Amino acid sequence: MAQVLRRRGRIQVRLSHLERDALLGIVAELSPQLPRVRDRISQAYDDAERQAEYARWVKPDFVAGCEADLSVVTDSLSSGEDTLPLTDAQALAWLRALSHLRRAAASELGIEADGWEEQADESTRNSREFGILMALGYIQEELVAALES
Amino acid sequence: MATSTAPTPVEAPTRREHVARQFGWNIVVWNDPVTLMTYVVLVFRRLFGYDHETATKLMLQVHNEGRAVVATQPREQAEVSVARLHAFGLQATLARP
Repeated sequence: MAQVLRRRGRIQVRLSHLERDALLGIVAELSPQLPRVRDRISQAYDDAERQAEYARWVKPDFVAGCEADLSVVTDSLSSGEDTLPLTDAQALAWLRALSHLRRAAASELGIEADGWEEQADESTRNSREFGILMALGYIQEELVAALES
Repeated sequence: MATSTAPTPVEAPTRREHVARQFGWNIVVWNDPVTLMTYVVLVFRRLFGYDHETATKLMLQVHNEGRAVVATQPREQAEVSVARLHAFGLQATLARP
C-alpha cells in the first residue's frame, strides 16, 4: 500500500513497482481528457470579453504549468525507485496533477453532485474509474497530511 | 472670438463602483463534489497565508453554501490568484464586490 512520510523535512512517497506502473497507466489513460478538464476549470469571468482576455494572457501559462506538474509525477514514477523523495514544491505539483486527474476520472463517472460516494451502486463501485478516483484521493490525502505535518 | 465651454457635470461614483475601485475584485471559490476538503484547506493556507482555522472556515463555507469569497485583491493580483487556484484544480471566478 502506498505510503507518504515526512523524513528529515522531505516528503517520501513509497510505492511498489506495481503501484508505480499502475499510476503511470492511469496518467496515460486520463491524459487525453485533461485539456477538457482544464477548459472547464479555467473559467474566471462571467463576462465573455473579460474571459477572452483572461484566456489569452493567462491560459498558456496555466496549461504549461499543468503539463509541468504532470511531468514531475511521471518523472518520479519512472525513476525506478520504491521511495520517491519530493521537495515541498514537487509534492504540491503532485497534488495539483492528481487533482486534475481525479476530475477527469469523475467526469468519466458522470459525478456532478456531492454524495456520490454514498450513492454509488455496486457496479459503479467496481468500475475502474471509481477505483482510480479513490486511489488518487488516498495519495492526495497522504500528501496533504505529510505537507501539513 | 473667445469661446466658452460650460463645465460638464460629472456624476459621483456610486458606492458599488467606489468599493470595487478601492478593494478590487472578489475571488470566489465554488463547491465541487470531487475535491478533498483537507486539500482545499491546504490550498487556501498556501495561496493566501491563512491560519488553519480561517482556511477551514472558508472551506466549510464553500462546501455548505456552494461558494465563498476567499479573498479580495486588485484585479491583476486576483487574476494571478485565480489562475493558481485553477492550477490546483479548484473552480474559482472573479466578481466585483
